[in-house]
Order: sequence, then structure tokens, then C-alpha cells
Amino acid sequence: MKKGKHTLTIALALLLCLVPAMLFAGGSSEATAAADDGKINLTVLNYRDTSATNSANEDEVVWDYFLEQNPDISLTIENIFGEPFLAKTEAYLASGNLPDVIYMWSGGKSASVHQNHAVKDLMPFLEKDGLVDDYNPAALVPQYGGYLAELPEGITASHMIFVNKTVLEDCGLEIPETLDDLLAMVPVLKEKGYGVFAMDNMTTWVMQSTLVSTIVGRLGGADWYDRLVAGEIDFTDDWFVDSLELVELLYDEGVINRNSLQSTYGTSRGPFALNQYAFLVDGDWACSSLMMDNTTGQALLSRERQENDIELIVFPEIPGEVVHDTTSGTIGTGYAISADIEEGSAKEEAAWRLVKYLQGEHVQEYRLVTGQAFPTNLNVDVDKVIEENNLEPLVSKRAEFYNTYSYTPVIDDVLSSEVANVIDIGLQELGLGSKTPVEVAQDVQDTWEKWLDKQ
Amino acid sequence: MKGGVTKRREHYVTYWVLVLPAFLIYILVMAFPTIYSVVLSLSDYRGGNLFTSDINFVGFDSYKEVIDDQYFYVALKNNLLLVFISVFGQIPLGFIFAYLLSRDMVKHKDFFQTMIYLPSVISTVVIGLLWKSFFSPNGAFVQLIRVFNPSYEAALSSYPFGQVLFVTLWMYVGNYLIIFMANLQKIDSSIIEAAKIDGASEMQVLWHIILPALSGVIVTASILAISGSLKAFDLIYVMTGGGPANRTTVLSIFMYDKAFKGAPNYPVANAISTIMVVISFTLIGITKFIESRVGGRE
Repeated sequence: MKKGKHTLTIALALLLCLVPAMLFAGGSSEATAAADDGKINLTVLNYRDTSATNSANEDEVVWDYFLEQNPDISLTIENIFGEPFLAKTEAYLASGNLPDVIYMWSGGKSASVHQNHAVKDLMPFLEKDGLVDDYNPAALVPQYGGYLAELPEGITASHMIFVNKTVLEDCGLEIPETLDDLLAMVPVLKEKGYGVFAMDNMTTWVMQSTLVSTIVGRLGGADWYDRLVAGEIDFTDDWFVDSLELVELLYDEGVINRNSLQSTYGTSRGPFALNQYAFLVDGDWACSSLMMDNTTGQALLSRERQENDIELIVFPEIPGEVVHDTTSGTIGTGYAISADIEEGSAKEEAAWRLVKYLQGEHVQEYRLVTGQAFPTNLNVDVDKVIEENNLEPLVSKRAEFYNTYSYTPVIDDVLSSEVANVIDIGLQELGLGSKTPVEVAQDVQDTWEKWLDKQ
Repeated sequence: MKGGVTKRREHYVTYWVLVLPAFLIYILVMAFPTIYSVVLSLSDYRGGNLFTSDINFVGFDSYKEVIDDQYFYVALKNNLLLVFISVFGQIPLGFIFAYLLSRDMVKHKDFFQTMIYLPSVISTVVIGLLWKSFFSPNGAFVQLIRVFNPSYEAALSSYPFGQVLFVTLWMYVGNYLIIFMANLQKIDSSIIEAAKIDGASEMQVLWHIILPALSGVIVTASILAISGSLKAFDLIYVMTGGGPANRTTVLSIFMYDKAFKGAPNYPVANAISTIMVVISFTLIGITKFIESRVGGRE
């Protein structure tokens, strides 16, 4: 009897110890299964808004097609979007378990990945395969960490103003060419019940990335960042303070409604399409949201409206600007390979095959057709794709936009997030009227100096 | 004698066999992270593998950085307001509703009970999205006001955290309603009836019988409200993300931003976490102290 009790106790103890072990073992079952069937399993951390326009068929067109073409590889894909994606990347970095292939930014938004050298330099891979000449040279420049961490899928303009000509015509107005033209439009538009700039400034980076980067570039010049690093200029100097004063003026004059500080990113695209605003201030990526969704056939802006009602411009001329007709732009996002993968291994070869495919002709053409990105792969013949696929007018207007305007840096691409965050919050403080431009500039300068000290 | 020793040994073994798994899990997922969080708050850890990276101790630098940050005080103030609205808003309202319903002072008791409790069974994320959409510049709130005032233009709220406080109150009152209703049913009705026969008014019944009987429940509810308010994250993160300009941030969002937004600053995030634990223990200690001084006997 006593022996039976002992056996029962030991069995119970073993069971209790096994339960957590079984629970923790469950997570890796998929990868184990994949390895058992002889395939190389790659884990992928992908940035994707599964509710976005043209997102529904990405599985079929992009990922399933890759698996068809590469039967020796299996993929475990984690799709995340927005701030949670950045948080998850940081968590993976902290745990030392970065997925094999990750989506990332070329600049400060992925600072930790760059600075920790958590991903491989892709240039040797491109050189080995003789692919360097296949890409726009601007896309292959060293990135935030000083090397080619990710292979960019496009060149991005973070500032693009969509003009609603229907609204302007209703008010008897023309597209503004100068800041004064813009300010003069405000009372006329308000009189008719229209908003001026549709913006969603509750999301902190929006104002900085989609508007202020361009203003700072105009007043500070295309090389403001280089001169800042060289110690030739400070954030408390006129170029930056004047930029902030212009933002304050835009709020005061009603060009930007202060209630935009209660609107989260993306929500004002609908009201803009419904003719409630004269302008939408966004990045070039907003084109895809306004175009037709291939799976449903629905669009915020019909082909006809894209052709006749919409123009793509940049912020009008600002008094005292040192460069003209500029937008803010950067090398786009792309995919990188984890530095943890053993060099020369079959897994590394598989990961490179995937990254190469994701920035190859098939996927870049798909992203062009759906309006998600403008290709960096020179083998994609943009004009031919537009003509052959009878693409929507916004695609060709976007191509024209890139040819018309030159670029200045995007603030959060060149500055560390530590500094860029202070600018983002400072811009919201201006909107709330709780800080002056000089105070915000001083906060930024203090953070910049603190950051420099730590380097 | 030998049998006694064997029996005691058997009890000892059985005790550890049953306690050990839970104890190990507790150490693994509660005690160790808490202590390690304090260690990280005193270090210069800048990311990378937690156990193999070079970590140097830098003293209380991170705590100084937190104290010097103007938005820490905004977050702290908002958290204390949340605690206030929870303890002095949710609990009294929950009690009042429970009292009215359990004493049959209103008709359609089941309907009101369901309606008050309904927010508690809806996902917090859904509630956050719903109210965010409701209060947005193009949302239902503005449309509703325009029914009465067509020229109304949505202005920026001068106190955006007010919306968060309102939703928090609306969302959690139901929880306390259920707690109080369950405990009100435990009070022997014959005591109340005897008091009534002796001529006690409703207020006297409430003050001398019901409140003393529920004092322990009120303390428990207060502890739940305090700890819940200090760790508040999901609803506010979905509704406002802490913005604009950190005006609606709370300590947990402030900590999250430091840890995961942009350039991660893990030592500062861990320092905030430690401060939150200290505040939590302090407030709960105060509650227990007040209960020991003024609370009745159940």
C-alpha cells in the first residue's frame, strides 16, 4: 500500500513537471515538422497590414508563388503591422532570437537592428550573384549602420500632397504655388465648409515625416544633416526654429486643424476622398490606399477621379527657402537576413534566395501594379508595366512626381529615434499650443547633444 | 517512533512534490523577472541577448533620468487620477447600483444589471476602438452634436484624458456591481428585517449594517482598483496611444514607449516598472492601514 502511495506521488510529480515542458515544447512543432520533411524552414518577420487595400492576395501572388518555385524551402511567416511590429522586433533582438528574414527600415526606425549588426551585409551577396547593376545605385548606398542591411524595395517620398481639384474648383481656387497663396485659400475653403489639410496627427511620426521633413529640408538645405553632424548648425538656429514657426502658423491660420491631433493615422483618407478636404498630406505610400483593391474591385478614388480630380504636388514655396521643389525622401524598406545564420550554410543560401526574390522582378512588379512601392530593380520596365496592365492614373502620376521633385532627408530616417521622438512630441506640443517653437527647438538640441555624448 | 519519522518524511516529500512545480513556475515567471528588472534598471543594458551581453552597473542613473523627464509626471498624474476615479468613482457607483438593485428599489432589475455589466464582457480592444471612433473628429460624437448645432466644428479637447477617465468609469463599474451584489446577498436578511422592525431607516440600515459588513469587500475592491489602475494599458493604448503629446499617457504606456518605441532604453523602462511596483505597494499599504483603523467587522 505504502509502495503504491510512493508510486502515485512520483507519477504525479512527473506529470506536473512534464506539463510545462510539453507546453513550452509546443511552440517549435511547426519548425520541427518542416525540418523533418527535408525542407529548409525559414522564419520571416513580415510587416503587413492585412486589412489594407490589395493586401488580401499577397499570400497567393508573393509568398505561395515563392514556395511553388522553391519546393525545398518552407516558410513560417509572422505578419505584424504598425508599432507592434517595432516592439516585436525589439523583443526578438533582446531575446537573441531574431527570425531568419526580417522586414526593416534603412534608417533610424530600425536603429537597434543596424547598431547591433543583427543582420548581414547584403552587398557581398549581390556582388557574388552579379546583381549590383540590376538595382538603382541610390538604393544600394550604405544604410544607418554603415552597410547594406536590407535590400530596399523602393525609393520613398515621405511627403506628397494630394490635391482635390473638385473642392478647389467649387471654391474658384487654383493649386497654390506659394505659402501666401495657401494661406489666402483658408477663409474661402472654410466659408464653403471644407477643411484645408487632411492630416492625422495623433500618430506621433506623421507630422514630422509627411510634412516637417520637407519644410526643414527647404529651409535647412538638402545637406542639413551633414552640417548638423559636422557641428556647423544647431537645432536652435533659424533653419529649424523657422520650420517650427511655420508649423505653428499653419495651426494658427487653420491650414491644419488642431483636432487632427485626435485623429489616428489613415483615418482622414476617407473624408478627403469624400471631398471634405482640399488637400491630403501623406506619404507616397498613401496612393495604394486610394487606388482600387484588386480583390474587391472597390476604390476610394475611381479611375476617372484619379485622372481628373487628383494632382500630386509638394508643399508650396516658402519665403526664405534655400532649395525649391523638394520633397523628403529616403531609401525604402526591405528585407534583411539574420546575422545568426551560419555563414555559407544551406539556410543562408535559402534566406538570400528569398530576399533576392522579394526584391526581384516578379514581386517589385506586383508592388508597382498595386501601388505599394516604386521599383528599385532596374529590370522592371515601369512604362511598359503601366501600359500593359492598364494601370490606374495614380501610378503614372506618381512616376511623374518622382521625376519632378528632388529629395531632402526624412528626419526620422537620419536621426536616431531618441532625437526624432522628441521632435515628434514637440510638434504635437506646438499643435496643443503648450510650447513655443524656441522651447521645442531647445528640447531637441538638448536631446541631440545628449545623444552625441553617448556615441 | 520509526513509523512517525517515516510518516513525517512522507508528508515532507508530498508537500514538496505538490508545492515545487508551482513554486518553480512562480520563481520563473514572477520573482525572477521582478528581481532581474530591478537589476536591469541599475545597468546600462542597451539590447541584445539578456544573459550574454556585456552589462555594467551604473547606479541610479536611470532613476534620475526618469525623474528628470517632464512626461513622467504627466504619466504619474494620469495614473493617480485613474486610481482616484477607480476608487472614488467605480467602487461607489458599483456599490450604489448594487444596493439599488439588490434592495429592489428599481424595476427591471435584470435589464439594468445586464446593461451595467455588459462592458465587462466586451473585449477591451473593441471598447477602445469603439470609443476612439466615437470621439474622433469625424466620429459619432461630433455628428450627434451637429444634430442640435449644425455649425458645430470638432475642436481639440482641452483635456483629452477626460475621455479616457469617462470610458474607464463606464467600463469597470459593472465588475464592482457584481462583486457587491454577490456580497450583499450574503448578508442575513433577518438582521435587516429586525432593524427595520426596530424602526431603523434605510440610511441607518446602510450605515450600521450593510457598510460594516462589506468593509472587507470594499478594501478588496479598492486593492483591485488600485492595482488595476496602475497597470492600465490596453484601453488607453488603443484609444489614444498616450497622445497627443503624451497628455493621456500613463506609467505603463510611458514604460512601453521607453522600452519599445524608437530607440529602446531598457534601463529606464525597468526603472519605471520598479517605481510602479513601489507606488502600488504603498497605495495598497495605505488602503490596508485605513481598513485596520476604520473598517468594521464582517
